[in-house]
Amino acid sequence: MTASRRRLLLAAMVALLQIGFLGWMIMGRAAILRDGREVLLKVEPVDPRDLLRGDYVRLGYEIGSVPRSLFANPPADISKAAGQPAFVRIAKQSDGFWRAIGATVGEPIATPAAPDQVDIRGSLTGYEAPGPDAAMRLFVDYGIDRFYLPEGEGLAIEKDMVVRPFGILAAIAGDGTAQIKGLMDGETMLYAEPPY
Amino acid sequence: MANYAEKVRLDIERWVASGLVDRATGDRLAIEIVKTAPRAFTFGSVLAAMAAILLGASVLVFIAANWEAIPRIVRVLALFALIFGSYVGGALLKERGSGFGEALYLLGAVAFGGSIALIGQMYHLSGDETEAILVWCIGTAVAAAGLRSPMLTNAAVLLAITWLLMRTGDWGRSAGFPYFYLVLAAALWAISYWTRSMAARHILLLSISLYAVLFGFSFVFSDDFATFGVVGAALAILATIVFFAAHNFPEDVERYAQLGGPAPAHSLIAFVVGIAMVQVKVYDQFGLMLLATLVAFAGIVTALLLRGRQSALMRWIAYAAFTVELAFLYFVTLGALIDTAALFLFSGLALAGVAFFIMRLERRFGTRPVEGAAS
Repeated sequence: MTASRRRLLLAAMVALLQIGFLGWMIMGRAAILRDGREVLLKVEPVDPRDLLRGDYVRLGYEIGSVPRSLFANPPADISKAAGQPAFVRIAKQSDGFWRAIGATVGEPIATPAAPDQVDIRGSLTGYEAPGPDAAMRLFVDYGIDRFYLPEGEGLAIEKDMVVRPFGILAAIAGDGTAQIKGLMDGETMLYAEPPY
Repeated sequence: MANYAEKVRLDIERWVASGLVDRATGDRLAIEIVKTAPRAFTFGSVLAAMAAILLGASVLVFIAANWEAIPRIVRVLALFALIFGSYVGGALLKERGSGFGEALYLLGAVAFGGSIALIGQMYHLSGDETEAILVWCIGTAVAAAGLRSPMLTNAAVLLAITWLLMRTGDWGRSAGFPYFYLVLAAALWAISYWTRSMAARHILLLSISLYAVLFGFSFVFSDDFATFGVVGAALAILATIVFFAAHNFPEDVERYAQLGGPAPAHSLIAFVVGIAMVQVKVYDQFGLMLLATLVAFAGIVTALLLRGRQSALMRWIAYAAFTVELAFLYFVTLGALIDTAALFLFSGLALAGVAFFIMRLERRFGTRPVEGAAS
């Protein structure tokens, strides 16, 4: 094989390697959307003035802060536990939203989840604060706190979000990875995400 | 480097004119210098690279802004086609010796990074920018090694430093200090030999000072100033060792580091940064502070005396460091020893002293300040 042939082949291989990696990323996410367990999560406005930055809406989740008492093994010093994986078991409530009923740090929850429960994986942010009931709550990040919107469409949603409850329809993979599936305004699905 | 060849060519003409060398020797020298001088950065290739970055940015912004108008699958496939076309097209152009080859490689790397961002947008992934930069960096490094591209090596080094800064700046999320940067830097250093990218090695060397400062700061955030000072001292000691190694064994260091000549300027910068970290730690203990400052001055003057003659860059770094040190010392003693009036008096006298010292050095090196500034 000539040197020039080899160079072209190498270039094609590099390109296919990168494209293959990107394709693998897409396939992984699409698989969660297709096969993942569907849950409805309640969204709380993060900060009415700072909801929209650029063309995405920042989302704060009800399950984004989990009472310390729900953790089987809460970290002694929360500031040193930043980035540690957290597994939160959520269960469907009568209003349709899924809420936290138990949690662990580091290892997945040992007992299997009941049919109307699912374990969602996140990571500790390293912060805690007392909730409205004065009980300490640990902040957990699930990597789903942004919803990208078509340019200019965020403002209306930002306003509506303050006055009535919004929800995120999420798909949860077998390993607990969460993936946004749709943005819900009460019962109406505002945006639904196709796998591709 | 182009400057160097140009400068020697002018020198040869002057020598021929003044009869120092005959015309035949002069011509042979001129040919020799053109042959051996490293292939220069041409303006054309620099502009082509800038064009590639602009083109890449325009495609990405266009896709991001009009994301409803074009189905997402089309956007993804268009980016994949751009990646493939850029790498293969770049290889074809390089085959023909065109300066656009490296620029197209760069466009491919930008398209790869853009694809990662687009996938993040498609699936509403949040909090992954730092990881995305790391993935982009590794992908670019793999492409640099596969295509033997110096431009992509430099791009990967800049992405690695960006990742280091984002990772350490992101206190809320960060899980520990990014020690992985050292692995990344070592890998990129190794790749830079293969891709013959001297610039990548220079940037990596400078990034060590940055890494040390960030590493020190990771202790400051838990109020551990002692370790901050120790990290600074370690950096200064390491810099001193490297400086003397580069000064005493220039051929050996050059054979391994291949930096285009011994480059102790990096180690002087690292030394000054390290001492500054120590000074921040001991600023309220006058004795230790004075000691650290004297060590700093001694280091700067040593660097100037040993290497100042060869390197204009070294002289300017040394002068800047000297002046900053002096200013720092005055700031620290202000509250304790002298009032503001005395500070102005002493600053004026000190500046005059620095000027006198610099003039003495300039005379010793036989350079006039104007020429030093130009070189």
